[in-house]
Amino acid sequence: MKRMDWVVDFISRKGFRKGWTVFIIAFFLFFVVIPTLYVVTYAFTDWSAIETTVLSKPETMSVIVNAVAASFEIAAIVTVIDFLAGLPVAWILVRKEFRGKEFLDTLIDMPLAVPTAALGFSAAVFWVMNPDPVPFSFSVISSPFFLIILLHIVFSYPYMVRSLAAILEEIDDTYEVAGRTLGASRLTAARTITLPLFRAGLATGVILCFSRSMSETGGTMIALSTMANLGIGEAANFFTGSTLIGEWRSLVENDPTYAPSLAFVSILLIALALILLIILKLVIMKFHLPLRKVWPMQEKMLSRGIFPKMKDGGALLFLALIVLIPSFFIFTYVLFSDPASLDMGALSYALGYSFLVAGVVTVIDIALGIPFALYITKHRDRASSNVLDVLVNVPLIVPTAALGYSLFLFWGSTGLTGGASFVVLTLAHVAFTYPLVVRNVAGAVEEIDPSFEETARTLGAKPIQSFHRVLYPLIKSSILAGAIMAFTRSLGETGATQAVLGSNALTAPVYIVSLVKADELYQAGLACIILIIVSYIFMLVLRYLTKKRKEAI
Amino acid sequence: MPEVELINIAKRFGKVTASADINLKVADGEYVTILGPSGCGKTTLIRMIAGLIEPSEGKVFIAGKDMTNVPIEERDIGYVFQNIALFPHLTALGNVAFGPIVKDMSEEEVKSVPQRYLEMVKLLDRMGMFPDELSGGEQQKVSLARALASGAKLLLLDEPLSALDARVRMDLRYELRRITKDLGLTVIHVTHDQEEAMTVSDRIVLMRNGRIVESNTPEALYLSPQNLFTANFIGETNLLEGVVKEVLPDRSLVELRDGTVVEAKPSKFRRGDAVVLSIRPERVHPANEGLNSVIIKITYMGTYIRITVESDSEDTMLFDVSTSEDRVYSVGDRVNLIWSKRSGILYPRPPEGVEEAIKLE
Amino acid sequence: MPSIILRDIKKSYGEVVAADDLDLEVENGEYLCLLGPTGAGKTTALRIIAGLTKPDSGQVFLDGRDVTDLEPEERNAVLLSQRYSLFPTMTVAENILFGPSIRKVPELDSRKTLVELLDLVRLTKRADSYPRELSGGMQQRNALARALATNPDVLLLDEPLRALDARLRIDLRHELRSLAKALGLTVIHVTHDQEEAMVMADRIAVIRNGHIVQIGTPREVFDDPVSPFVANFVGQSNFFVGNILCSRDGRMTTVEDDKGHVVFARSSEIPVDSKAVVAIKVGNTRVVKRSDAFVMGTVERTLFEGRVVHLDVNAGELGRFSVKLPASRRDQVAVGDEVGLNWDIPKASVFPYPEGGLEEELRVD
Repeated sequence: MKRMDWVVDFISRKGFRKGWTVFIIAFFLFFVVIPTLYVVTYAFTDWSAIETTVLSKPETMSVIVNAVAASFEIAAIVTVIDFLAGLPVAWILVRKEFRGKEFLDTLIDMPLAVPTAALGFSAAVFWVMNPDPVPFSFSVISSPFFLIILLHIVFSYPYMVRSLAAILEEIDDTYEVAGRTLGASRLTAARTITLPLFRAGLATGVILCFSRSMSETGGTMIALSTMANLGIGEAANFFTGSTLIGEWRSLVENDPTYAPSLAFVSILLIALALILLIILKLVIMKFHLPLRKVWPMQEKMLSRGIFPKMKDGGALLFLALIVLIPSFFIFTYVLFSDPASLDMGALSYALGYSFLVAGVVTVIDIALGIPFALYITKHRDRASSNVLDVLVNVPLIVPTAALGYSLFLFWGSTGLTGGASFVVLTLAHVAFTYPLVVRNVAGAVEEIDPSFEETARTLGAKPIQSFHRVLYPLIKSSILAGAIMAFTRSLGETGATQAVLGSNALTAPVYIVSLVKADELYQAGLACIILIIVSYIFMLVLRYLTKKRKEAI
Repeated sequence: MPEVELINIAKRFGKVTASADINLKVADGEYVTILGPSGCGKTTLIRMIAGLIEPSEGKVFIAGKDMTNVPIEERDIGYVFQNIALFPHLTALGNVAFGPIVKDMSEEEVKSVPQRYLEMVKLLDRMGMFPDELSGGEQQKVSLARALASGAKLLLLDEPLSALDARVRMDLRYELRRITKDLGLTVIHVTHDQEEAMTVSDRIVLMRNGRIVESNTPEALYLSPQNLFTANFIGETNLLEGVVKEVLPDRSLVELRDGTVVEAKPSKFRRGDAVVLSIRPERVHPANEGLNSVIIKITYMGTYIRITVESDSEDTMLFDVSTSEDRVYSVGDRVNLIWSKRSGILYPRPPEGVEEAIKLE
Repeated sequence: MPSIILRDIKKSYGEVVAADDLDLEVENGEYLCLLGPTGAGKTTALRIIAGLTKPDSGQVFLDGRDVTDLEPEERNAVLLSQRYSLFPTMTVAENILFGPSIRKVPELDSRKTLVELLDLVRLTKRADSYPRELSGGMQQRNALARALATNPDVLLLDEPLRALDARLRIDLRHELRSLAKALGLTVIHVTHDQEEAMVMADRIAVIRNGHIVQIGTPREVFDDPVSPFVANFVGQSNFFVGNILCSRDGRMTTVEDDKGHVVFARSSEIPVDSKAVVAIKVGNTRVVKRSDAFVMGTVERTLFEGRVVHLDVNAGELGRFSVKLPASRRDQVAVGDEVGLNWDIPKASVFPYPEGGLEEELRVD
């Protein structure tokens, strides 16, 4: 008791609090932001190498340009489709009351629980045209480009629905009701009132989907390899920006001349991603929907009878057919394939390693992410906090393969990479999962009326006490949600892992990629299922814990 | 013409009954206020009239038409919200023009109608401003103009003033009544503020626990409430517990706890009945004889002085004296209180106790 | 010894000035109402006293101690916020015990405090309920008990009755004030409701644009307002604008407008011929015979308000006058009647014409 008091007193001192704040910010800058963008320095130190080995070689350039262009095209198409198919579902989730709503709510998050490596495999066996198709598969896609679009929709769709639903939740539905009492039909009210208020959510959703698609490596690689193995050779030579980094990263270990090209692709992806997303944000915020125009009769007709039902039905069909079934098709695949033996030793080692990394990463994210989130939300009036708020998004936007390569260069330059692969890998995963925790916690804190904490202060509580006793119980579930997101992202990440450690990486998704590349499809499928089941159990346990706590509140 | 009729309306949410046995008729051009404490079901009621929720039982008629399954947008009502709900992305003018636009009025009307209503609420000079640039009172006036501009002849006001400052509220309620009367609208106004209800309405419908307690003109409800709850809710009143001593043709005599006999209106009670006597503070006067009391508090109210006393009959009472009165009162003084027999009203003493019968929440 | 002193407090948020040379002294054990319209800087003043907002300059003293640089938890001044901010994860009892547990009060003592306070605020039966299960009035009492449990020197109430029903508010005014008085607390109560301030306060401080305009007993503020704004904000007033015809006879001031209408007000120091405003409280304006009238007008509408009837009287060129007629006289006046109005001359205040115009001066919104 006495010692606790001393600790509380000590950490409540102004000096300590200042030091702690400086530490938290320094950690963020030196372990998250700077390593993420470090690769850019390559352009200044070794521009001549880039010039001679990349820019002057048309064939290398054309590979790079094609891959980067494919990335952007895919991301753009995926985002648009996600929006169109996700909006009606978000609407249903927020504005409608019906039985089974909670079930639908859970369904939407399911693809998030499946590691992208498993998703890539699952989607490929479901969609790819195959002379000897698996029962119940669709087996119609012969273009790698379309396959990757379909794959990316699966894991980016939940992000879009969640972002749209979140903002829709915040838009008071009295606005729409007010519109309707003034004589506007449902459709007119939604289009002219709610949609314009929607921009912020739209921007978040678009940016999340776009960057998720740009950044995804493991699932894409596996889908392409599987496709190649199923007899479509074209897939072996199809690259997105991220898979190109993965490919070259594995080559650079034997052939250092790939280094400048790798750096160049990474810089290009980082720069383009940042620029494009800034433009996107500006465009969405400035874009005006045609509000003045109304077509009362037509819109009234569309608000009635069969049309709304068709829209909702279509959206749910999309959810089932394009998102959910391909996610879990892997079970069907394994069921109908000839069994082969799987090296359980190697798999359990990889799984154990992955869980250890994800666990340590999550702990670091929580310990250092919460104070950081508190800092940026409590000092909104300071310019510094707004700058940090923007910076925290950078690792979310930057494609993880490029981020991984950047981290490799950064930690390599400090001489840390050789023996301490676990440390470097952990730091790499912290870089791209940290923002998830910060965003979640900051979002939750901003929702909580500051007067709770203020009241606690006037009742005599020190800041740490008011956090612990008052704020923490209120944001607990958001912390857990952030932790789950960070954990699963770390568990499923391939691109960054490969880019940091090359072929030495021993995480579960990398192991699955190697199985697919070796054409051991059944084993890969089985490994995926084990990965899914293990992460599912883990998620269920966490959900159970969160739920229990929520009920306690 | 928009008269409104509710027939046997009831609404249940799960096990909770929000309103029951509601029968109400609002005439064309009438200004009716639905008044009651929080949770009495008044908001549920107005939302059922607007079509925001469907009643579990009964029917709503507007202008003689059954409104069951008629969507909000086809009921032709103006609705003003407690939280104002101006569209934040549109200017004041844009907000007011919304109704005319979606109702597909002619190009010319879309231009002229919104300006006409903004002028009516004296905000024409602010038409280019966005809601967050306007003060609370101005926002609510724009919201009123918006509801009127859609051409509705039935106006539903859902606690329109409760988000505003007391002083702004006062000014706005006079304005509200003037504008709606000038336009000849039928108005149904929901509020928990009895003072507001008194000022704006032709008729007040008082609700409690999902049911209508009493419905009448403000004057009748204040001067001769039929119900103990009404007497206390509509303006403050003194409630004295006693027993009927005698009922005469022109007055009733009531014996209080200390044996003092006081007067009230003639009544149907019989000798020995337990009753509660209600008498408004402004009707109680100090005199040379009457109910013996001790002053415990004196409050300066500006235009009058309110004095709180503890009577020998163990009742706490309020009475008002003019600021220009010569006599100086101070705490601890003894006074004798009287009132005219016409202003005291008797109610049967409620079996659950007076406090329970007048409980506000 | 004064319990709370604010000296030369300044605070601005960008362009918006929330406190402008704010000076305030509150005596020990006093119940002070800080009265003003939305945006006047009431809440800012309260937050500065509680230590939740740092002033740009100026000093705050509590019980003679300079607390300007102290953290909120070091001040022993408890703030009750508008929505009560009861901790939603704690029961009624846990909320009350929050303060004592932070201060490490021994279990036995805090139990005793809890029992006493639950009894005081009549929540003994609801001790294990969560705040969301309570009615508005109960929540308010729970928050009050939580504040009292820390044994504060100073209680800061931010519109404590705003979230409640109008009728309930009237009953709780007395309850809240009696409680504070019984416990000998020093209270600052922020409100926008002038009637609430009149009924509850020992003294009222009228605040506007971050500055105390007038401070005094309810009687002083109501009867002797220092500006047209105060005259209109604390009890509505009727206004008459004109030039001073005569002011120095010591008994009254005569004011004449440019159409030749003349009215009378209390004596003043305003020089002859300067432009002035006469303010008469609506409640002090009387309906009288033509021969006694200062102003004549036609009754435009009558509204029954319970103890009084509100009359709008159109006085032609002089604009509209409002009058509150006792309800017992309601049968004597009808719409369309021509009536005379007058007032007790000492009850009419007179002010120099405000620089920004009368309408701007009276803005409450």
